[in-house]
Parts: sequence; C-alpha cells; structure tokens
Amino acid sequence: MERLNEVEQHKNSGHSSFLSKIVAEVRQDRMACMSAIILITIIAIAYLSPLFLSIERVNRIELSRIYWPPSFTHWLGTDDGGRDVFGQLLLGARNSLTIGICVTLLSSLYGLTIGLIAGYYGGWADQIISRILDFLMILPSLMIIIVFVVLVPNYTVYHFIFIMSIFAWFGKARLIRSRGLAERELDYISASKTLGTPNWKIILFEMLPNLSSLIIVNMTLTLAGNIGLETGLTFLGFGLPSGTPSLGTLIALAKNPDIVQNKWWVWLPAALLILVIMLCINYIGQAVKRAADARQRA
Amino acid sequence: MLTFILKRTLLMIPQLLLLSILIFFLAKQMPGDAVSGAFMGKPNVSAEQMEKIREQHGLNDPWIVQYGRWIRDALHGDFGQSFVHKQPVTQLLAGRIENTIWLSVSTLVVTYSIAIPLGMIAGRWTRSWADQFIVTYNYISFATPVFVFALLMLYVFGFVLNWFPSGGSVDIRIAEETPEYVLDKLKHLVLPVLSGSLLLTYSTVQYLRNEMIDTKMKDFVKTARAKGVPENAVYRNHILRHSILPIAAFLGYEITGLIAGSVFIETIFSYPGLGRLFIDSIMTRDFTVVTALVLISGAAVIVGTMLSDIILRIADPRIRFG
Amino acid sequence: MPLLQLRDVSVHYSKTGSFLKRRGAVIPVIDQLSLELRQGEIYGLVGESGCGKSTAARAIIGLNQLNAGQILFQGCDLSQLSRKARKQQMKEIQMIFQDPYSSLNPRKNVWNIIAEPLRNFERLSKADELAKVLELVQRVGLNEESVYQYPHQFSGGQRQRIGIARAMALQPQLVIADEPVSALDVSVQAQVLNFMKEIQEEFGLTMLFISHDLGVVQHICDRIGIMYKGRLVEEGTVEDIFERPKHLYTKRLLVAMPEMDPEKRQEKMKQRLQINKEFDELADTFFDSEGRSADLQQISDTHWARL
Repeated sequence: MERLNEVEQHKNSGHSSFLSKIVAEVRQDRMACMSAIILITIIAIAYLSPLFLSIERVNRIELSRIYWPPSFTHWLGTDDGGRDVFGQLLLGARNSLTIGICVTLLSSLYGLTIGLIAGYYGGWADQIISRILDFLMILPSLMIIIVFVVLVPNYTVYHFIFIMSIFAWFGKARLIRSRGLAERELDYISASKTLGTPNWKIILFEMLPNLSSLIIVNMTLTLAGNIGLETGLTFLGFGLPSGTPSLGTLIALAKNPDIVQNKWWVWLPAALLILVIMLCINYIGQAVKRAADARQRA
Repeated sequence: MLTFILKRTLLMIPQLLLLSILIFFLAKQMPGDAVSGAFMGKPNVSAEQMEKIREQHGLNDPWIVQYGRWIRDALHGDFGQSFVHKQPVTQLLAGRIENTIWLSVSTLVVTYSIAIPLGMIAGRWTRSWADQFIVTYNYISFATPVFVFALLMLYVFGFVLNWFPSGGSVDIRIAEETPEYVLDKLKHLVLPVLSGSLLLTYSTVQYLRNEMIDTKMKDFVKTARAKGVPENAVYRNHILRHSILPIAAFLGYEITGLIAGSVFIETIFSYPGLGRLFIDSIMTRDFTVVTALVLISGAAVIVGTMLSDIILRIADPRIRFG
Repeated sequence: MPLLQLRDVSVHYSKTGSFLKRRGAVIPVIDQLSLELRQGEIYGLVGESGCGKSTAARAIIGLNQLNAGQILFQGCDLSQLSRKARKQQMKEIQMIFQDPYSSLNPRKNVWNIIAEPLRNFERLSKADELAKVLELVQRVGLNEESVYQYPHQFSGGQRQRIGIARAMALQPQLVIADEPVSALDVSVQAQVLNFMKEIQEEFGLTMLFISHDLGVVQHICDRIGIMYKGRLVEEGTVEDIFERPKHLYTKRLLVAMPEMDPEKRQEKMKQRLQINKEFDELADTFFDSEGRSADLQQISDTHWARL
C-alpha cells in the first residue's frame, strides 16, 4: 500500500507534461501571452454574463428604440429589434464559442476514428479510406452545407452543429492517418502486438497518446476556423436559427448598405470581436504548435 | 510520368460520377420538381393533371433512369429551367459567369503579385523588420475570416473614405465598349479583389519564405554565389525558378477557397457573379439553379485538383499521391 | 521433439499493385527456410542486412504473414489454432527488439511498460502487479525507483534491459532476440549479452538470437545458421562454423570479422582478399543463375551446408 502512495507522488515528477510546456511557451511569447489574457477575459465575460444580464431582457424586442446610437444606457446602441447590442454581443460570443467548440470536438471524434483506423491497419483499409477522403476533400463543402441547412426540416442548433461537423473532419482524418502510418512502423506497436494486446487497446492506449500533441495543435487551429465558418454561415443567413444570436447575426444586418454606412454600432463591434477572437486563438495555436514541436525533438 | 498523368486523369471519372450522383440525390431531396415549378401559381391545374404531366416527364421512373437523363442533359449544357427567372439555367449562368471570371482572375493576379515579392523579401532578409512585418501580416491574413475583412474594407474604403464604389460590377449609365466602361468595371473590382487576395496570399508567402530559407543553404546556391553570380541573379534564377511551379500548382488547391470566398465577397459587395447567384437562388428556393451551381463548382474543384497534382508531379517527382 | 520448427517457410513482399497494374513484382524475402530449435539452446541466425533474418523473426512471432510453409511450436501449427488458443501459445513466445528507442512507448512509464503483458494474460491486483514488476526490474539490474520513470530517462543499455524485463514478464519458453545489442555502444554490448546469457540459463529459456555480428554469436550461441538471400546456406554448432566452414559465404563472413591482434592483421587482410577473389570466381558453383543456392547437404551429425 505504501508503494501505491509512492506512485501518486512519482506520477508527476520527472516527466514534464504537455500542458506545462504549453504554458512555458505561451509565457515566452509576448503576443501569445497577450492573446491568452484577452481570450480568457472575453470567455469569462461571455460565459459569466448571465450573472449580471438577463437573457430575456436582452432578447426582448422593443420597437420604440430601433437603431439607437450608443449612449450610457445602451453602451453600443440598439439593433433592428431595439435590443441592446452589447448584450447581444455577449450572448452571441458565448453561442459562437460554444458551437465552435462542439463542432471541433465532434469533428475531431470522426476524424480520429477514421484516421486511426486507416493509420493503424494500413494496407487495404487505408487504401479505401484514403480514396474516400480524396473524394470528400474536393466537395464544395460551403455550398453543400448551405443546401443541407435549407433542406433540413425543423431546423435547430443541433442540426447545425451536426451538419457543420460532418464537413469538418476530412483534413483531420488525413493528418492523423499519415502520422499513424509512420507510428505503426515503430517497434513499440509491434511489441504490443507480440505481448498479446488487442488491436483496439493498442490504438487507444499506445498509438493515440503519441499523437496527442498533434491532435491538440490541430484542434486549436481548427477551432478558430470553425468559429469563422459558423459566424460566416450565420452572416449569410444559413447558420444559427433565428432566436439563437451569434456574432454572425449582428454582422448579418450589415448586408444592408445603409446599416454598414450609418449604423456602424450594430455590426462593427461584432466584426472586431470575431477578428480579435480569431487572432488570439491562432496566436495561442502557434505557441501550442511550437511546444509540440519542442516535445517532438526531446 | 505519362502513366501518372493518364492515371490521374482517369481517377477524375469516378470522382465526377460520384459527385454527380451525390448532387442528383441532393437535388431529389429539394422541394419542388420541374413540373410543380412550372405550374407554380396556377391553381387551376388539378392533382390528377399534375400526375399525368409528371408521368410524361418521366418523374416516376426509377432513379437510375432519371439520373441518366439528368446527367445526359447536364453534359449537353441543359440544367433545366429556373423557376424564379423563368429562363433556362444555362442562360442565367452565362450572364453571370463573365463577372465571376473577371473577379477570380484578377483576384489571383493580385494575390500572386503581392505574395511573390513579399515571400521573397521575407525569405531573403530573414529576421529583418520587413520580414517581421510580413510574418505578422501573414498571421493576420491566415486568421481573418473573409467576410469580416470584406465588410471592414467596404466600410473604410467604400463609405468612410468613399474612394471606391460600394457595390455592383459597373455603373449602368456608362455605355458599353468605351474606355470609361472598362475603367469603371475595374474600379468596381478593386475592393472585392483586394478583400479576397489580401487574405489568399497566406500559403504562397509562407511557402516561398520557407523555400528561400531552405535553398539559401543548399550547396548549388553557395556554388553560384562563390562563382561570383550577383546576389539578385542567384535569387531570381536559382531560387525563384525552383519555387514557381509548386506555387502555380497550389492554384488548383485554392479553388475550393476561392469559391467559398466568392460567395461571401459577392454577397457583401453586391457583385453579380455566380456566388451571389447561389445565395439568391437558395434564398428564393430556386433549386435547379442551386443544383447546377454546386455541380459546376464541384467539377471545377475536381479538375483544378487534378491539374495541380500533375503540375506538382512535374515540378517534383518525389511527391507521391495515395 | 524440437520446441520450434520452421518447415519450408516463405515470405515475400509483393510490390503494391497500382490501379492499372494489379500484380506487382513478387520479391522473396525468405525462401523455403527450415530450421529447428531444441529446448534450452541458443540458436544464432546470422547474415548480412537484408538477408531476411529479421523477417524470419517477425514471421515466427506473427508480425509477418507466411506465404508458404508451416511454423510448429511444441508440435502444433500456429496458423491452425483458434484465435484464443493461438493467443495462449503466443504467450510462450516473446521478442526482444532491435531498437531500444522505438520499442518502448515514450508515453508510458516503466511500470506500465512491463505490466502490459501481465495485464493481457493475468488478472493481478495492483499491489501484486507492482510486486511482480519490481521483481523483474531488480532482476534486470535496475533500481526500484525506475518503475516510475519514462523511457527517455534511460540509456540505451538500460532501455534494452527494460525490454528484456517486459519479454520475461510472462515467463515464456521461447525468446526471439532480434539484434538486441546492435543499436548499443560497444562498451554496453558485452554487458547486455552476458546478462542475457545469465537469464537464459536461469530460466532455461530457448532463444533465437538474430545478429549480423559473428563475434557476438560466437560468444553466446550453441548452434548457428547462416542466412544468405533468404535461404539458410550453412548450419552447425559453433565449432562447425568457426573451425570447419564449408560454404563460401560463411568463409567470407568469417574473414570479414575484425582481427584484434595487430600482428595478424596483415595476414588476415591477405586472406580476405583471397576469399573475395574465390567468391567471385566460384560464385557460379554455389549459386544458380538466379542467385539461389544449392540444396543443403549433411556433412556431419550437426553440420549442414549448401554445396
């Protein structure tokens, strides 16, 4: 029993975790450090907003105060329904982030499953999966997503997340597959096979941990891309259903030239917020990538 | 090499076939077919009559027969009728495709004329202030979503500074085939083109910069330098020539991005091209047009990817596919 | 009954046929290889790189598919067994890998590495498992602390010891050592070799020892098989091979061994040149037009060669 306790103590020593490497890398890079602080602030404000903001009040339509310019009562003015833009901004940021994360997780799940199978088994399985991926990668996915969004009856947020994630995993599967193919040639995989470990265990507990840094880097970078795509689709009018505001919803109002020109407070803050979020995530993603590369070398 | 080209070209056939089948089924899912579309808003046609007409048009045949007919027509350039515009889809597309070609060709030209010098400067004087500036710009262009950037461009240069027109492809008051007409057309292109190309430079700059840094250290470049070849000529003749073919090859892979980008850019600048037509058609549920556009885009990507694969293979035989 | 028997085992790689040309060229890696391992002996399989010796090892342990022939372990054909029975049989055969760096998963500590086979075959409590792992770790000469360390914290020699501990965890009857010391520093090689010999004697193991280094094989093995281009060209006890080599290729390998005594070097050099000349001249009589060697002939009770 004493020995078991010893284990717990030793678990963390002598092996610096990937997380601590990332933190070190982010600290060294001034831009990444700033990005992390800004992003954490945005996330905190967006997710804590329900504490000081009632969603009901933010979403209530008040036709008497449409398109009011910024003032003390409405920091960023009001939109086409007389709703407070600042409140909508917080709510939208929260929704956009949540959906971005969900899509990233779901698509990573698909990508990992397919990529690991192709990479681990190689041979015929890999041939077939690769050909299918080749085909899927050339689909004009933006257009097909839009068509799907229009065709789905009783369209909800969940449909949207599902449709987006279905088109977001091809690149990931390919990445995992090619690294997996390299990994399967290494002797520790052969060793596990000779030790009688079943294939699914080798995939999950031997191969996957060795691809983890690659996966984390890819997930950070695609998170930014998915938020961009979600807001973009919502901007075009084929994203979130009305009633679920996203950052794209506010920008969508800017499809009217009069609003672009004369009512900047409706769309400009949302556009800038997206820009800031994307830049921050990407800067952090680059730092994570450097941390992963450093680990690869070690 | 010849077998590779042949093989790669043949691979297109199943891809195109699969794409068309996929889109055919997608089209079948879309509400309304040619018949109900044609009789929309004519309440005096009874369901029975409709059924008869459906039978005549072969809409009750098994899917494979319908698919065969559909693909045969598509190959002949017949994509059916647009419900909304009441004209053949082909005609509708022909009217718009010119604008889209203008837009995409100039976007590509501008992209490369920005990206190639930037990539070379950054790669040649690594870690200089110019390099740091370019690298930062590259970071930003990679991260920025196209619709956000296009809107900001429109707001700043179209409205606040009022330097360029904010929408459309040409001022309709100017007579066609005059120098002013061409000039005005170009003026309308400036903002959409810049919005697209300033973000598209990313991969080229990145590639060229890395390539320059790598090649700088290679022996054949050192030899050229040692033999007294002027520095500029070393870069122009040895390094750029090496990288130009792969850069050209990326073009084909960019097509997907270009199509997605054009949907956003044409919407924001009310530019009457195919991307805008796609959004308009889907808004008005004009599905024959939508189907045709998806099919054309998919085919464009397939052909583009194939060309890129072949160019890249010629540029660097070490690269293998599959 | 021999513990392990290979009967006319062939493995070939076929070049992956492409989409137009379905059937690629067939490249034989092992060509009708037959050999026997007796209980408790160390059998050395020697040959130049690419001669198929590693493939043979991987075929025995099931990492490569056979194209022809049979592998009999304790008299039963492994490919005929049901999946479950086969797994039980494979428990008795373990492998020590060539590269001590890639053969240990960098993400796992030594405890988890050594316990992997135990978890697959034995249901042990956590405490029992640790006790067993500690026993193994001590047996291979590492200290207790190392159980909690990761592979990158060890030297090549220590890593190979971990690999040996893992292979020994299930107390197998047969261990296949695929060039276990060739990736190590010369100074550590002897250490690990002596240690393997010790373990072999202690557990009464049977061992298939694969190497390209005749010096190493001479040191550790009882019997030796010489492989060339996928075929066994000569087989015999250590004395047979070193004192009375019959096959031209064996002779060539022997003269290629570095000589420690500087005074004999000149002589060795001459010998080497002579054998090389002989090899060029006589190659035709030992190999047919496709480079395949003749059939095995018995020379003495223990000695066989292709002449």
